[in-house]
This record gives sequence, structure tokens and C-alpha cells, in this order.
Amino acid sequence: MKDVLALAKSHVVTALRERVTLFWFLVFPAFLLTILTLIFGQVGQEENVHFSITLINHDHAESSNLPFSATRVIEETLGSLSEARESGAQPLFTLIQPAPGSDGDAFLEQELVQIRRGNRAAVLVLPGGFDEAVLSGILDETDRSGATAKLYMSHTSVASETASSIIEQILAEIDRTILIQTGRFDETQAVAVVTDWIGQEEEETRYVDFVLPGIILMGFFTNGLFGVPGTILFNRDRKVLRRYWVTPLSVGRYLAGFGLGHLSLCVVQFALLFALGKYAFGATIQFTHPLSIIILVLAAITFMAFGFFIAALAKSANAGMAVANILNMPMMFLSGMFFPLVGLPIFMMVIVYANPVIYLLEALRQSVGVQTSTLMPFPWTFIVPLFWIALCSLVTIRRLRWDVAR
Amino acid sequence: MTHDFIMKVSHLTKHYGEIIAVDDISFVVPKATVFTVLGPNGAGKTTTMEILEGIREPDGGEIVLFGQPMKRITRAAKQRMGVLLQEGGFEPHLKVREIIQLFASFFENRVSVDAILEQVALTEKAGAQVRTLSGGQRQRMAVGAALVNDPDLIFFDEPTTGLDPQARRNMWDIVSRLKAEGKSIVLTTHYMEEAEALSDSICIMDHGKIIAQGTVRELTGQLGEETLIEFRVDGILENQLSALSACCDNVRQDGGLVTLETKDLPSTMSELLQWSETQGVPFQDLRVRQPNLEDVFLTMTGRTLRE
Repeated sequence: MKDVLALAKSHVVTALRERVTLFWFLVFPAFLLTILTLIFGQVGQEENVHFSITLINHDHAESSNLPFSATRVIEETLGSLSEARESGAQPLFTLIQPAPGSDGDAFLEQELVQIRRGNRAAVLVLPGGFDEAVLSGILDETDRSGATAKLYMSHTSVASETASSIIEQILAEIDRTILIQTGRFDETQAVAVVTDWIGQEEEETRYVDFVLPGIILMGFFTNGLFGVPGTILFNRDRKVLRRYWVTPLSVGRYLAGFGLGHLSLCVVQFALLFALGKYAFGATIQFTHPLSIIILVLAAITFMAFGFFIAALAKSANAGMAVANILNMPMMFLSGMFFPLVGLPIFMMVIVYANPVIYLLEALRQSVGVQTSTLMPFPWTFIVPLFWIALCSLVTIRRLRWDVAR
Repeated sequence: MTHDFIMKVSHLTKHYGEIIAVDDISFVVPKATVFTVLGPNGAGKTTTMEILEGIREPDGGEIVLFGQPMKRITRAAKQRMGVLLQEGGFEPHLKVREIIQLFASFFENRVSVDAILEQVALTEKAGAQVRTLSGGQRQRMAVGAALVNDPDLIFFDEPTTGLDPQARRNMWDIVSRLKAEGKSIVLTTHYMEEAEALSDSICIMDHGKIIAQGTVRELTGQLGEETLIEFRVDGILENQLSALSACCDNVRQDGGLVTLETKDLPSTMSELLQWSETQGVPFQDLRVRQPNLEDVFLTMTGRTLRE
């Protein structure tokens, strides 16, 4: 056992002293977590999205004497949404309206320019006679023409999409309320949508909580697929393994020592990324659940086994890195990390279902409560990675050579 | 049953495809001696050493090591062996002490790390990373790694190749000290003077076979009682060389170096001086010496060790 521990220690010490290894093992994943969280962590966080909506109401004077004013309801609704909230959080958008008595058409032209410049998300125009048209629809059951509002938006702006969605929802809700009040809307036929967030009942999932398990697994994956064969094959090329070979050390004990060292480095890597996520970006997820720990260990061993597999098959370090790159592409890109896996050709779906990364990633996210598994039932989370561990170990034991081929 | 040898190799054979690298060789390594395998590149000595070090498996033959017969070197046998490889690296970012500790962990019998560092004169460099060591220091550390288990049999495979004269002399001192401690040593080298300085017995290999075995005196004695006269000339014509051959035995020319063999030194020297005067060929670096292992190899194969 002393030899295994000594090898593990030497592997850890070497990795921590080697700048290149240190960069890929610790600095790069931390850098990636920082960049992703800083950039994408802002998207979807309500308090951080802000845009401007312009409302032009051409129907002010005409609707002042009517018993019901839809334009007023729209104005008040949009106005209230644009006010600062009780919690002190910034409102979702700023509502811009023309000054009283100003030229509405000129103002519209000016605001359309602002849309093109990206300074306005949307411009909603309520035409003259809008309220009258609404009222006519309410009072006259035969009148089905309704009122029409004009919405201007930009094709190239995400904020414009969001703004139009909000405005359409508000108008639809006003429309529904009016129809219900007038008895023209049959509620039993209405489709009500109640949104229920699964997994994090009490608070919304933060982006850092979503991305942190992926970054941790990506770190394990990169180190397993590139770090493990890189170290073994470079040591073989530099004839370090040859020196081990002339001692009583066996291949099995060498791999055990190397593996223990590698897993120790994974623990260091995990601790660093977890601390960074928690203390720098406020991650709330915990990996204390036994299932999370089991999946993390399983992931580290699975990717390490792939690394051993590459080291066993490659004739040199350069060849090993080429093989690692070939395996890296389908395993990373067909893991669901970067784009949805639906609609892929059948042969690609075969790769998806054989890819251990997706099972481990989904299982880890599920175990920390940020995602439900969508691919396979629970046992496959273990069966697929264990299959690869067994296969890679078998090949490694049979094929790994201490010395370059002669 | 006790033996007076630590290793006995019988009919050892190794092929690489059609090429016979080691061709039915047999030899005995006596205890507490330095046994040297000498030969030019491609002679089969590296393959022989790799088989005996446990790196490669032989195709045929038998090895009796520490009194135990075996077809290939076993893990148990490695517990009592130390190997200094000709080609072998170390983790460049580990420190000298860490390397010695690591290698010590592979063996059941372990010498203290401090004792090893002192033995190879690296105590002051114990905290230095391998990448910062000089070639000589690195080689001494490799020796230290080979001695961590206090081995009974030590392999030194080309131990001084690439070292400067001082580092080479230090290595010779280490080998001599180990031999004085009663260790058995198997040495390979292509430095003739190294083999002559360190070896108790020598086997010369060529084309996978052993072509001569014995002590330095026995091997050089095979050339008879001749004395060699060597000198250098700037240029020599064919007819001048023919004239020299007429007055002296066994004249050889290797570039600008001319070598004569003689059993009657005074008479030959007289004739040589006369030849120089009549032919108008001035001598450079004239010297008289006894035959060495290079001469033995040359006589047996018609080639030099470095060819």
C-alpha cells in the first residue's frame, strides 16, 4: 500500500507544481465558471433586465366621457408595472408617454427611430376610437369587430421580444376580463395555465446553481480525457515508466496509485470550484446528499477510465491527445450541454444514449435539485458509466505498455 | 545449495521478427565482481540487459538468479536488484528526496533516504527539483534510486554516457565502492578504458553472439606477446605503406593513424626510424603500448567498437 500512496502523492505534487497542468486542472475551470456566471448569470434574472416601452394613446379625449375606458386600464397596468417595487428592486421596464398636448404623430416618428437605435423595446399605439370600439363590442353582442392596438417592435432585439410578450399578455388579460364581466366569455371553456416550478419550490434556480454541476463535471471530464493519458503517455515517452518497470511495481499498483492521485486532484478541483461558486457568485446548491457524492465519484472514475483507455491504445503522447480530441467532440457536444438533443438523426441518438456524460450530468443536476432527468430512468445513470468503466479497465489492463513499442 | 555466482545465463535467445537480437548466449556473473558486457551498437547488449533487468521476456534460454532458475526475471527477483537504465527519465517537478522516497516505496527492503543521498553525494541537493540538476547530478540520483533497496545485484547500463570527465570519474568511484561493499555488478559500456578500469570479467558481444569472454588480461593475452607501436602521419602513399609492411609485421592504417605489431620492439623501432628517414614521412604522436580491448575486438571482427 505504501507504493500506491507514494505514487498518488507524487502525482498530486507533480500536478500542483506543473504550471500547464495547474492551469487546465484548476485555473481554467474556475475561469470558465467566472466568465459564464458573469455573462449568462445576468440573463433571466428579473431584477437585472431593463428596457423601455412607449405608450401612445390617441384616444384620450374621446374616451373621457365613456363609462368604461380600456385605454385607462392599459395605461394604469403598464404604469404600475413600471413603478419601483416595494422590495426596492428596479422595475422591469420604464414606461414612456408623450407630454400632454404634444403632437402624437411626431412623437411616434421619434419613438420609431428610438426602436431602430435599440433604445426602445416596443411602442404601443392605441388609436383614436379604441375605447369606443371596445365598448361597442361589450354592449352590442352582434359586434365582433373589436378594437385594434398597434404594436411596433424590433426583429433584432431580445428585449423587444420580451416587451411584446408582456404587452400581449396584458391585453389578452384585459380582453378576457371584459368578456367575463359581460358574460360573453364561457369560463368553463377557458384554458387556464398554472405554472409550477419543479425542483426548487421556494426560490428560483440561479444560473450559477445550474452551471456549477456542469463546470465541475467538465473539469473532471477534461482532466480524465486529456490529463490522465497525457501524463501517462508523456511519462512513457520520457521513459519515466521504464524506471518503474525495473522495480517490483506492477501495472495494477501503478494505475491504483495514479488513480488515487488523480481522484485526490479531482477533490481539490471540486473544492475550489464549489468555494468559488458559493462565495463569489452566491451558489446555493449543496453536494452533501449521498447521491451527489456517489455521482461525483462515479464521474471522476468514469472519465479517468477513458483516460486509461486512451493511454492503453495510443502509441505516443501526441497520438493520445489526438484520440482524446476525437472522443472529446461527440462526448461533449452530444451531452446536451450546448444544444438540445431532440431531433437528432438516429445514428447520433445512438451516440447520445451511449454517452456517459449526459447521464452523469443529468443525475448530478437532479441530485442537487436543479433539473429533472429527461433521458433515461434512474438505473441507467449508473449502468452506462459502469459499463464504460468495466470496458476501459479491461482494455487498459490488457493493452497498457510501460515502454514505447520497439 | 550455494553458488559462487549470483547469475548464470544459459542459451539466452531473443528475436524481433526476422532479426536475431540475442543469439544463444551463455555466461556467468560471479558474486561481488564487476561483469562487463562490451560491444558496439547493435551487438545485442542492450537487449541482453533489458532481458536481465526484467524489461523484456526472452524467447528461449534460462536464467539462474539468486540461486533460482527462471525463464524471465520475476518480481521477487527484482526485490534484490537495482537497475541504472541507460535511458530513463524522472518526473522533472519532483524533488531529489521525493524521487528517492518514491522508489524506496516500491521495495520491501528499504535503505534510509538520508543514507542514499549521502552515498551519492546529493544531500545538499535533496530539496532541488529534478529539472534543476546537472547531468552528473541527475545520473547520481538515478544511481541513488537504484540503490534504495540495498540490492545484491546492480545493473549499470552505459552509466557514463554523456557525462563530463569529472562526472565520469565520480561514477567510476561509486561503482568501485559498491564492488568493495560486496555488491555484484553487471556493467555495459562502449568505453574501452571504462571496461578496463572497472571490470573483473568481460564478455564481448557482436551480432547477438558472445565472441570472447574472460578477464582483461586473458582477453588481451589472446593477442600474444606483441607490443603495439602507433603514430600519426599527415598523409601516406600506398608505396610508402608497402615499404613499411616489408620491414614490420601487421601494419594497419585507420585514417591518419598507423599501428604496427611487434614482438621485437628495439629492432622494429630501428627499422621504423630508418623507414621514416628514407621515405621522408615525419611521425606525430609516436607511442608504444600494450594491446587493449579495442585491439581484441578489432582482431576478432575486423571492426572497431565504435563502428
